[in-house]
Amino acid sequence: MRSQVYEWDASRTNVSGSAMTRTQFGSALSIFVGGFGNNITKPAETTATQFCVIEDVAVTPSAFTGYGSTVAYRGLNAGTNGSTGIAGPRAYVQIRINTTDYFLDPDNVGNDGVPGTASPYPRSVNFQPVFNLYPDVYVLPGQTWDVRVTAYQQNNVASTLTTGQLQCFVKYTLYDGPDALIANKLLEMGISVNPGNVDWYKRTLIQSQGM
Amino acid sequence: MSMRSQVYEWANLSTSGNYMLRRGLDAIAVTVPIDRELSVFTGQYGNNITKPAETTATQFVVIEDLAASAYFGGAVQVVINTTSYFQNPDVTQQAGVPGTASPYPRGSSDTSQVANADNGVQLLNAFELTPDVYVLPGQVWDMRYSQTVTNAIGSTALNTLSTSAVAAFVKYTLYDGPDALIANKLLELGVTVNPNNVDWYKRTLIEQQSASASAAAVAAANGGGQ
Repeated sequence: MRSQVYEWDASRTNVSGSAMTRTQFGSALSIFVGGFGNNITKPAETTATQFCVIEDVAVTPSAFTGYGSTVAYRGLNAGTNGSTGIAGPRAYVQIRINTTDYFLDPDNVGNDGVPGTASPYPRSVNFQPVFNLYPDVYVLPGQTWDVRVTAYQQNNVASTLTTGQLQCFVKYTLYDGPDALIANKLLEMGISVNPGNVDWYKRTLIQSQGM
Repeated sequence: MSMRSQVYEWANLSTSGNYMLRRGLDAIAVTVPIDRELSVFTGQYGNNITKPAETTATQFVVIEDLAASAYFGGAVQVVINTTSYFQNPDVTQQAGVPGTASPYPRGSSDTSQVANADNGVQLLNAFELTPDVYVLPGQVWDMRYSQTVTNAIGSTALNTLSTSAVAAFVKYTLYDGPDALIANKLLELGVTVNPNNVDWYKRTLIEQQSASASAAAVAAANGGGQ
């Protein structure tokens, strides 16, 4: 049972070999295997003996501002070609399990996900969260999962993104082996899967064996 | 995934005209009328969706948080069917929660100026939506943004007119299928509808079924229900 994190920065080139450019704005990009920014070698998936609980997602925030400036606003670029009333990349983060998007619009169409303005990364006094991922998102054994970032204000970034202009962060807990079995059992019982409840289940098993 | 956290963000940003479906590249701020409630879903300003928000017969929505820009007198109201949730003490209409009480983003300034002038204010929320707002199966719901001051700043005569961006945000949990039935049951019982209580109700059902199965097994072992 291990707490895990993954940070993506659009300017890095690890594994992908390419930093993100303005061209990729407007489409959803996997932070694991999207081909831009730091990537990993294969899509994120759970094996038959793993259970994953995604507990938090966050992405670079944006600020709603006055029109007409090219200066930075609270650390966010406000437009190399003139601001459009927003500073920062106007980024969103979506979770996908197999082929299903987690966040939907009220008309039941998959949307861009959580705005960075609601769940900022990094967090600061200027940009604080108004969103927390509750209930958590469960990735069951054998499922593939992805975290996808979409950004829209390409005029607010350099032609090739620089460090910190677009970042994403995901925090999850990986349950492996017997803990994954317990996680499945908790799910069947309608109990939230978290480290405290997994420990509680273990204690209950031990007590029932009279140890 | 029958119990899911959901979000919706609206901003007066559009790539052409006053509104657009979903979002687009390098959208720009449009002027929003003052003293008028605009639906953030279908109000024809900024990013919209295809139809009003409504729950089906097998859905239950719990609105947990809402927020709006903290300048231009921005405020946000929840409307269920035709009833506004926030009212004045004399039961007359009001604009809803002011952005200054529930700012979006948290930590934002209380002013928006041409050239992004920043007065350094970092607002926190004075408001929390407790208790939550329930949208029952089959109801239509809406979030309405309004502002009392124009977001078009400057002077047309001096050709300095520019438009600031404003936004609103709602966080809700969508219960679907069996979880929506449980949410209805909790409502009948007078228990708060939240993911913990839905899980608690499931556990109670399972425990009851286990107890019934055990009792039946004992009865069968004793020769059947004597």
